[in-house]
Amino acid sequence: MLLSELSNNDIARVTDFSKVHIVIQKRLRQLGIKQDCEVCLIRKLPFGGPCMLESSGQCISLRLDEARLIEVQKK
Amino acid sequence: MTAQQIALIGNPNTGKTCLFNALTGSYQYVGNWSGVTVEKKVGYLRNQQGTLIDLPGIYSVNPISADEAVVTDFLIQEDCASFVNIVDASQLKRNLHVTIQLLERGKNLIVGLNMIDVAKKRGAVIDSARLQETLGVPVVPIIARTEQGIDQLNQQLKKSKSTTNDVLSLYYGTIIERAIQEMEEELAPLPIKVSKRWIALQFLDGNQHVEKLLDSEENFDVFENIREKAEQKLKKEQRVASLTQHIHDTRESYIEKLVQNSVVVNTSRTNNWTEKIDSIVTNKFLGIPIFLLLMYVMFMLTFDWLGFPLSDLLDAFIAGPITFVLENTLELIGASTFIQSLILDGIVAGVGGVLVFVPQIFVLFFCLSLLEDSGYMARVTIVMDRLMQTIGLNGKSFIPLIIGFGCNVPGVMAARSIEQPKDRLVTMMMTPFMSCSARLPVYALFAGAFFASNQALVVLSLYVLGIVVALILAKFLSSTTFKEQKSLFIMELPPYRLPQWRTLWRATWEKGKGFIRKAGTYIFGGSVLIWFLSYAGPSGLAVEMDESYLAMIGGVIAPIFEPLGFGTWQASAALLTGVLAKEIVVSTMSIIYFVPEMELQSFLSDQFTPLIAYGFMAFILLYIPCLATVAAVRKETHSRKWTFLSIVYGFVSAYVLVFVIYQVGKLLGY
Repeated sequence: MLLSELSNNDIARVTDFSKVHIVIQKRLRQLGIKQDCEVCLIRKLPFGGPCMLESSGQCISLRLDEARLIEVQKK
Repeated sequence: MTAQQIALIGNPNTGKTCLFNALTGSYQYVGNWSGVTVEKKVGYLRNQQGTLIDLPGIYSVNPISADEAVVTDFLIQEDCASFVNIVDASQLKRNLHVTIQLLERGKNLIVGLNMIDVAKKRGAVIDSARLQETLGVPVVPIIARTEQGIDQLNQQLKKSKSTTNDVLSLYYGTIIERAIQEMEEELAPLPIKVSKRWIALQFLDGNQHVEKLLDSEENFDVFENIREKAEQKLKKEQRVASLTQHIHDTRESYIEKLVQNSVVVNTSRTNNWTEKIDSIVTNKFLGIPIFLLLMYVMFMLTFDWLGFPLSDLLDAFIAGPITFVLENTLELIGASTFIQSLILDGIVAGVGGVLVFVPQIFVLFFCLSLLEDSGYMARVTIVMDRLMQTIGLNGKSFIPLIIGFGCNVPGVMAARSIEQPKDRLVTMMMTPFMSCSARLPVYALFAGAFFASNQALVVLSLYVLGIVVALILAKFLSSTTFKEQKSLFIMELPPYRLPQWRTLWRATWEKGKGFIRKAGTYIFGGSVLIWFLSYAGPSGLAVEMDESYLAMIGGVIAPIFEPLGFGTWQASAALLTGVLAKEIVVSTMSIIYFVPEMELQSFLSDQFTPLIAYGFMAFILLYIPCLATVAAVRKETHSRKWTFLSIVYGFVSAYVLVFVIYQVGKLLGY
């Protein structure tokens, strides 16, 4: 499933984020996101605003558009 | 003895500037979000000879945004520097990526393991001796905020040698190693100051600034060939997505091992109260209202509840006792009328007219510092991102805009941390429309004179006006010039920190000091000049004001402003001088009508109607960015065209808008 389809507080494993815009992909990698790493969707902001993720103790915010391009497997 | 040069380097928001301030005893801007420091800053070390350089934070030596590029260029060009790598102990793994890249460049490095207290709270205990052994460079645990471990770091700095040929050589596998070797052979004759292996690796990693360095070499296509070949081979033989990916993975697995050996993790739990605050301030329904409420409170504190009464007190003090003492002293020492006029009508009126607003400006800066230090700034970006997306920008643009309320110059600079060049440029065009602290005296003066009963509301409407015009301009730019370019958004949200009083006070003072300094230099000089122009005329000195040079100069451009309602030479002269710095408008007015600020208000009501006064304030807000802001835009855009456009956009929008306000207002009978 897609990262954007998770509900609040769902924990999932990232399986593929190669479709995301290259700049965002680079930043995600720099922030420690990689294949098979665990992320938790904290919440989505209203009106299709960005979503907040938690991964190994840090909080990252990402647009829903980008979250729609990240494949995850729900735990 | 040659002076030592040491640079601070590391991930964003890890406390580099905090440490810089502790080591140098100076003060640079600190805050709690990624990208506070956007340029290289130099200070002198407290204890020993040498200079300390503060660099912007980087996630990698391979840069994405403009502030990160500053660091890459520094690493390529400076060969003498030794480094202190600040590592956030609570995010060890990803911080070590920068450490590895620095060690590959040279082992003239000390690791400052910062925020060990935060890490401990999260249940991670780091064996720094073990880490030191494996990395082969000194590792000093510190807590920069409370200055713990600074002495040990200082001792290490004294011992450190700035030159060493020792580097860390990770093994990247046969394919990449061969490519590196080939690159090194090609690079051998070139006059490159730093490790050639490092240059080769960064090139293979796709570092554009290293590419630029090699771009001018005739064998550039040989380099590209080597990279291309290696990537193809890697893809075919090992099924890796890209060179970059493989290089990253190699480092990652090295770090993985490193961390396993030197970190004991007890329980891993993120801090709870950050999550609790976030559940409120980024709440579905409350997020935007809370942001607006905070802005409103900040505004009311400045203009109504706290700042305004304080400014009034100061005004009474300057207009009363100070002027009285000065008058008598001048009388006593028998100063000529020329000197008396210069001091009382020129300097006291001009500089004093601006200085009375210092309390309000300090209140404003205190509120801004509180926002910056707490960590809320990063939350603003996500709360506002959806709105900014509709005008083709991203939430990060809001940081420069909020900083712009203090002063537009650091606002323009702050745009550096925005990744997309187009988003950054548009943000720089928007920032001059923010009502900075220099506009505050103008608003306070006019609103006090004409809208005494609902002063705060009128000023608030001007703040909002500035934002609305900026948003419209952004929408216009992103749907015309930059139609094709998508905006991007990704933001790291740091944990909240309880702001420290010491830091807050320091930050407020440093910002406010700039305003006072401006009053002592620019505004002092401007006041003297304006006073002289109003004192002298073609027929000699001490002429009637209407016969002065100032009246002549103002009179020439006055007709332009006739359709806007303020076509007098006085208003034109004030606008002209306001280009220098917007506070000077108040000084000029004080001098022209040569009455103290308190009486100036009643005097002005004879010259302006409320409608014209409102139009005049709106015009001051928008018309032309002050000289310092224009210079900042020029420096940051590297483009004459965009600098010129930012002036044009300002002037045209000011003229059109005030024309409409005045004409419509007149029709409605105001």
